[in-house]
Amino acid sequence: MKHQHKWMIQVLVALILCLAMAAPSCAAEKYKLALSLAITGPTSDAGAPYSKGVEDYIRYVNDTKMFKDAVVECPIRDDQYQTDITKRNFEEFLSDGIVLYLNYSTGSTLALKKDFEEEKIPVIPASFHAGNLEDSHYIFLPIATYSSQCIGLAEYIAANNKGGTPQVAMFIHPSAFGRGPVDDLKKAIAAGLKMDMVEVVEHGKDLDNTAMLQRLLSKKVRYVICQTVQSPVATLLKDAQRLGVIAKTFGEDGKLTFVGAHYTGGNDLIELAGSAAEGFYWTTSYTLTSEPGPGTDFQLMLAKKYSRDDKTANSHNYTNGMMVAQLAVETIRRVKAKNLKVTRENLYNELNAMNGANSYSPGNTVGPVTYSPTDHAGVDTLQIYSVQKGVFKAVGKPFVPKFAK
Amino acid sequence: MTYFFQLVVSGIVVGSIYALAGLGFVLIYKSSRVLNIAHGQIIAAGAFITYALTVWLKVPLYLAFFLSMGLTFFLAMSVERVFLRRLIGEPIISVIMVTIGLMSILDGLIYLTPFGTVNYSFPEFFPKTPVDFHGVSISWTQLVGVTITFLLIALFSWFFKRSTVGISMRAVSDDQLASMSVGISVPRVFGLAWALAGMSAAAAGGIIGNITGLNFETLHAFGIIVFPVVILGGLDSIIGAVVAGIIMGLIQQFAAGYLDGHWGLNGTKDVLPYVILLIILLFKPHGLFGTHEIERV
Amino acid sequence: MSSNRWFATGNFFSSYKAEQRIFFTHLDRTVFAVFLLALFVWPLCVELSNKYMLVLDNILIAMIAIIGLNLVTGFAGLISIGHAAFVGVGAYTLAFVARQLGDSHILITHAWPLMLVLCGLVGALFGAFVGLPALRLKHLYLAIATLSFQMIFQWTINFLPLFNQGQTIPIGRIYWFTGMVSRQNHYIFWYYVILTLVVLMGLAVRNLLRTRFGRSLVAVRDNDRAADAMGMHPGLTKVFAFALAGFFAGVAGALHAYLYRGAGIESFTLHQSITYLAMAIVGGLGTLTGSFWGPAAIRFLDLQVENMVEWSAHFLPATLNLATALKPLTFGLVIVLFLMFEPRGIANWWRICRTYLKLWPYRY
Repeated sequence: MKHQHKWMIQVLVALILCLAMAAPSCAAEKYKLALSLAITGPTSDAGAPYSKGVEDYIRYVNDTKMFKDAVVECPIRDDQYQTDITKRNFEEFLSDGIVLYLNYSTGSTLALKKDFEEEKIPVIPASFHAGNLEDSHYIFLPIATYSSQCIGLAEYIAANNKGGTPQVAMFIHPSAFGRGPVDDLKKAIAAGLKMDMVEVVEHGKDLDNTAMLQRLLSKKVRYVICQTVQSPVATLLKDAQRLGVIAKTFGEDGKLTFVGAHYTGGNDLIELAGSAAEGFYWTTSYTLTSEPGPGTDFQLMLAKKYSRDDKTANSHNYTNGMMVAQLAVETIRRVKAKNLKVTRENLYNELNAMNGANSYSPGNTVGPVTYSPTDHAGVDTLQIYSVQKGVFKAVGKPFVPKFAK
Repeated sequence: MTYFFQLVVSGIVVGSIYALAGLGFVLIYKSSRVLNIAHGQIIAAGAFITYALTVWLKVPLYLAFFLSMGLTFFLAMSVERVFLRRLIGEPIISVIMVTIGLMSILDGLIYLTPFGTVNYSFPEFFPKTPVDFHGVSISWTQLVGVTITFLLIALFSWFFKRSTVGISMRAVSDDQLASMSVGISVPRVFGLAWALAGMSAAAAGGIIGNITGLNFETLHAFGIIVFPVVILGGLDSIIGAVVAGIIMGLIQQFAAGYLDGHWGLNGTKDVLPYVILLIILLFKPHGLFGTHEIERV
Repeated sequence: MSSNRWFATGNFFSSYKAEQRIFFTHLDRTVFAVFLLALFVWPLCVELSNKYMLVLDNILIAMIAIIGLNLVTGFAGLISIGHAAFVGVGAYTLAFVARQLGDSHILITHAWPLMLVLCGLVGALFGAFVGLPALRLKHLYLAIATLSFQMIFQWTINFLPLFNQGQTIPIGRIYWFTGMVSRQNHYIFWYYVILTLVVLMGLAVRNLLRTRFGRSLVAVRDNDRAADAMGMHPGLTKVFAFALAGFFAGVAGALHAYLYRGAGIESFTLHQSITYLAMAIVGGLGTLTGSFWGPAAIRFLDLQVENMVEWSAHFLPATLNLATALKPLTFGLVIVLFLMFEPRGIANWWRICRTYLKLWPYRY
């Protein structure tokens, strides 16, 4: 018993030490933002570079003294994709007095929507789910919703299809995130977008999609719109490749052309699917490092400055995180430029006024960020990319989907 | 009709991969009555080791495949030595929970490596054109995977039936006390069972990794997906794992092929195995091929 | 039972009734009463931030769930890897009502105690149903049957539009005699509600364990055939144990939904089931006090690891991966270390502490 007693005291001492270590210190004027996201757990392959994008840009702001005496503070918390932890993090951030909150998953954004309303705090999530905006005033999506991305893809298909009405299937994630755009796309079709939606497939953890692909082909499906994450798309593409059913040219007869929204693409898809990714069409509002420009130069510089590896530096989720941080910092800057106090309300008004001449171009998106009290989707412009020789190359010019509201 | 045969072939392919993944559970359970919930993580580790060897160290694939089997052999053996050796004779819940704890620990360790958050995929080793038989197609990767699966399963069956070590392992699973009294080292048998399971996990990981690409979430989920398979087959039967694996593979393919998209159903292949499992357990509580334990007061 | 001072020198009970008493001395009873009072009074003196109130509420909810899990797994020895699903049944019962009648229907906002009971009963119903295989299945096979229930539950919620396909179903703010419970008072209000429930349910279970049913639970765990021979009905006992566990889980689920003001599938996944099991183990399986220690310890560890991660990020900025790996690593290590070195859980430390204090300054 004596032995165990000693052990207990040691544990107690260790716990007290842990407590003592966790005490932070503070000084100078601070603008407090905060981010809660999945760095581990599901979707961490997107969350990890996203968090680094936010972290690096905030550090850049502070290192280059963008706000002279003041600093921007943005603690980043891992919530392992669990809504409960997100809520806890959010409550803590609120007690810290944050003025703007960056959220991540579709699930937690929907779950906390009421809290955002009650707290009147502007929120920028990484989820572009259109449902986020229903009954909500304080959620600002950084770029076009998944729905308008899918509609954009559908419009591209309708415009480039040869011969008859295009037959389309959707391949979606079994969650709100995946299902969201289905109804909106159906509405767009009802409103006059020329195509037939033949089937909607929800995927699981598949090892073999042969049967599904053959079924789609037998139903004369020509295009598959994917709204999910990279891994299932990679498996699908590999199966399609070995069956030899991937279209060589866009919309080739008797073959399948695969297209996908923001989280299906990027370098991760090429990593996972290898040569099967060739000819995959993808849409997002971000610029990519495979299409160099001033925005991407800045991104690479930032990644280099904070010694990120190549994979992170070139990830579109790194861009995504960076852009969200840029947007937040820019809003703070504008509020300050008007000599107003940086508060939730002023930030909210400033975000709502971000349109017309006041729209903001962060440089790494294909169009400007525009918000208004009735439009809370940021960059409305989309760019289609396709994989050519192992990298995503831009196809055509950036455009705004017509059927998206 | 081609569609039907395609479903059958796909089902058998998927099913035999399940069987290989399930083999690890059976090996461990057969000798030590432990259900290793961390098996999915060992599968993932095996896949990652194979990848690291082939791509980063430029070892030829077949060699890397065997090397990673060797490495997981020792990995699993040391896991048994460190974590489970102390728990021999403890109640079943403790043992299950240790493997659950192990799952978390291995998760943590894998997050320390780049594999935890970054996706990779194997370079393409096999011809891209599928083997086509009157419209029913199967890829080379899958074909090789299935062949390896059946080779390994045959090997393990032979090992348990004929070799001295295998027979002593069966003896331990039958009666620990009695086997000790004839001079079999029970802890060593346990260690060996884990090591062999680790080997089979590496093989499964290599094959699955080649098919799906290396995404940690996808890979370690296989530890859970395979549960219905091993329970259906009976936890201590190798042949049960094979039969149940193929049954489950077929059920899933048919569910996806004929149920999904009708009557508003979707994603049935993820839930049907569990429903069928529950029903079968009610009628055959020890699975299809499991040994009935006779309990005495 | 060496927590009892009389046992230090021998057994002095003259009747079975005396042995079954909950409080052996007046001091025991007084200490317990003072402790309870302190639990109810401290929020008036100290103001805790919302985050920590949320954590506290969460721990208390987990306690209710773990009491249930301990009944089925600790006392009756039936491993349940689907406890989060039972909690989910409770939460989704409430959510279902909210979705049918509107999230601010009077049933939900005013008759919430009734809803708690209703959710508990639905949980019990599902518990009994899932417990049915226990009539035939044992050990691992039963564990996997509960796992199947977990998977089927997840799929059902995720698939049916009736349950909003797994997206959060909102639940309105509730009313107390003083009017609507506002955002400021939300967490403290629920602290009192949940605390009261924990005390009530803890006492109920403590009493249950000294009845015939409580003893037959343990008998069935230790050897169900022997129990059968002694005239107990192992099958019914097992099913009833599952039903009870389901009731506790159901109440916990309803509380969870009220506290988070919504039910979403992410809170009731397999991962949560595993966490519940870990809490029961770390607390001490088959002990009532363990049901209180376990949730507290695991949640506290979670918070500490998070703090440590944040603290280490001050000087290890580029190694975010190391920091995030810590969470699963410590979680797993704690489970494994407890099982290897203290399989009786924290409840055992508690017992040792109490004995030590009772005898201090003398040694036994």
